[in-house]
Amino acid sequence: MIKVEGLYHSYTKNEKYAVQDLNFEIAKGEVLGFLGPSGAGKSTTQGVMTGLLQLQKGNVTVAGFDVRKISRTMFNKIGVSFEQSNVYGKLSGLENLEFYRKLFDVPTEDPKAMLELVGLDHVADQKAAEYSKGMKHRLTFVRSMLNKPELWFLDEPTTGLDPAIASQIKDIIKKKKEEGTTVFLTTHNMYVADALCDRVAFIIDGVIKLIDSPRNLKLQYGERLVEVEYREGDCLKKEKLSFLDRKDRSHLTEIVNAGNIEMMHTKEATLEEIFIKVTGRGLK
Amino acid sequence: MKLLYSFLKDMKLASKSFYFYMELGIALIFVVVLLFIVPENPDPKMDVYAYIDLQGPYKTMTEEALSRENTDLIMLNSREEVKAELKGNRGSVGLVITQADDRIVYEYILQGYEGEKFRNILKTSTEAGFVSEAANYRSVTNVITLEEDTEKLSLRLNILPVFLAYNAAFMGLFIIAAYIFLDKEEGTIKAFAVTPARVWHYLLGKVGVILVSGLMSGLVATIFLAGLKANYLHLILLLIATNAFGSTVGLFIASFFNTMVKAMGWLYVIIIILSFSAVSYYLPAFSPLIIRILPSYPMLFAFRETLYDVGNTGYIYTNVLGFSAASVILFLLANYRFKKTLTV
Ligand SMILES: Nc1ncnc2c1ncn2[C@@H]1O[C@H](COP(=O)(O)OP(=O)(O)OP(=O)(O)O)[C@@H](O)[C@H]1O
Ligand SMILES: [Mg+2]
Repeated sequence: MIKVEGLYHSYTKNEKYAVQDLNFEIAKGEVLGFLGPSGAGKSTTQGVMTGLLQLQKGNVTVAGFDVRKISRTMFNKIGVSFEQSNVYGKLSGLENLEFYRKLFDVPTEDPKAMLELVGLDHVADQKAAEYSKGMKHRLTFVRSMLNKPELWFLDEPTTGLDPAIASQIKDIIKKKKEEGTTVFLTTHNMYVADALCDRVAFIIDGVIKLIDSPRNLKLQYGERLVEVEYREGDCLKKEKLSFLDRKDRSHLTEIVNAGNIEMMHTKEATLEEIFIKVTGRGLK
Repeated sequence: MKLLYSFLKDMKLASKSFYFYMELGIALIFVVVLLFIVPENPDPKMDVYAYIDLQGPYKTMTEEALSRENTDLIMLNSREEVKAELKGNRGSVGLVITQADDRIVYEYILQGYEGEKFRNILKTSTEAGFVSEAANYRSVTNVITLEEDTEKLSLRLNILPVFLAYNAAFMGLFIIAAYIFLDKEEGTIKAFAVTPARVWHYLLGKVGVILVSGLMSGLVATIFLAGLKANYLHLILLLIATNAFGSTVGLFIASFFNTMVKAMGWLYVIIIILSFSAVSYYLPAFSPLIIRILPSYPMLFAFRETLYDVGNTGYIYTNVLGFSAASVILFLLANYRFKKTLTV
């Protein structure tokens, strides 16, 4: 669905690149997560792929179209949600969607149903300018679904939303994924990335450091620890033991046999921990 | 269809915005000012405060002569009174006529702002007055009319073309740029850019909105001030062509910038330059080439033609065609530029 080769982009049109030498592909039906700290070049990459930024160097093919000469019909197939919500403040939520759907040449979703999907039906007729930040963000998100896109670009769809709503959005994306939608997903939210992405790319300072599936990454970089809390006499003890270490394993057996365990769970490395390990930098 | 939807959406947005009403508001203010403050034809009469200190036949003779002039003569009793009245009425002159020995002394008391020309006129007309009183005076003045049927527009109608050019045609220059930068700021342009709709749909939709408000304000002003005297077919055609010209100039300039603040300077300079032609419009004697080549110059005269009973149709249509053609070219250029810069 997407093929990116040797992509460079500079806002200042010089050697100062916002992204450089990006290479990746997204297969049909795949969800690729773009993870990286602020300023890493995630939105820039999405911008080039959606034709909002002019391709300067490299080759980018999106849904079979070379972005150097995009045909407007390409946009019937793709949906784009933006990191900064951009809706008409003077129009109501419903009016925003009603106008937007008319710009497509393909069958579109019912705006009312879409508003309901993201819990905005009760403010459908209210001016979008009066929406809270999260509400505007949801409107921007749901607008990108109107044309039932085959290929979906989501720039931080859950940022700034409360956990319950973020989880709702995550479920919507998951459902679309199950229906076969290809997704390019940019996020800071590791749980969302973990739950949704077939593969994730770690990007930092405009360079992709690694692309792999979350499972492989965990297997490769995760330490596979067990965290155990147990009582020994009067005091409560807490230990982290590695599956890979012989001594730790036999110590764990002793604890289990003693039978005073209060709590015990395996602890996988999170994507965030792996990110830090790989790039030496945090995600924030 | 997308063009239509885009236009309708923009109309809806515009109808909720300040700019849309600003133009119409200015039109109404303009109408009110012209109807109630500017006289239909300014009164050429001037108040004259006079104090005449003469005796006998001289007195009646002078008074008679003065009353025949096109002035309002107000007789006062002393030079001091004349001075006092002058202070209260800036549009007046004072006249003191006294007798010294055997001579009659005419003394004009002026406000101070009158120019050399005016002083000379006073002087020569005073002298001429005496000549004509002389026994064997014969008028040798012939008035020759250059164009037999020249129609003179009233002062109000003479101002109207200036309003039409600057409010109905060129106001759009600013407003269309403002609309575009508002959309840029709101980011909605980006959302529009990832749909199958085209950049020119977007731009033409905006031109349409400007056209609606330009036509409205132009027609409102003309209906109130000219009534049935205007040729509305010509006026509408001219308003469409010139308004499109104004907004496409605005589009073109806006395409070089990404914020209103940055574009403002250029827009302002353009408006100022365009307004120079109003000077030549009022003072035909001052029409250097540099002003005559400004697009606003023929525009003013074309608007004026639509107000004459028999307007110069050829001139009007030449303007309509010229401005339409220029608009198309500017629109294509703006579209070409915006394709690259609209979403950056
Ligand atoms: N319009 C712009 N003009 C100039 N530089 C820009 C512009 N937009 C982004 N940049 C620069 O390009 C780099 C990448 O920015 P980008 O927005 O792609 O980052 P990001 O990964 O999306 O970050 P975030 O998580 O904060 O959204 C940054 O160094 C940023 O300063
Ligand atoms: Mg970003």
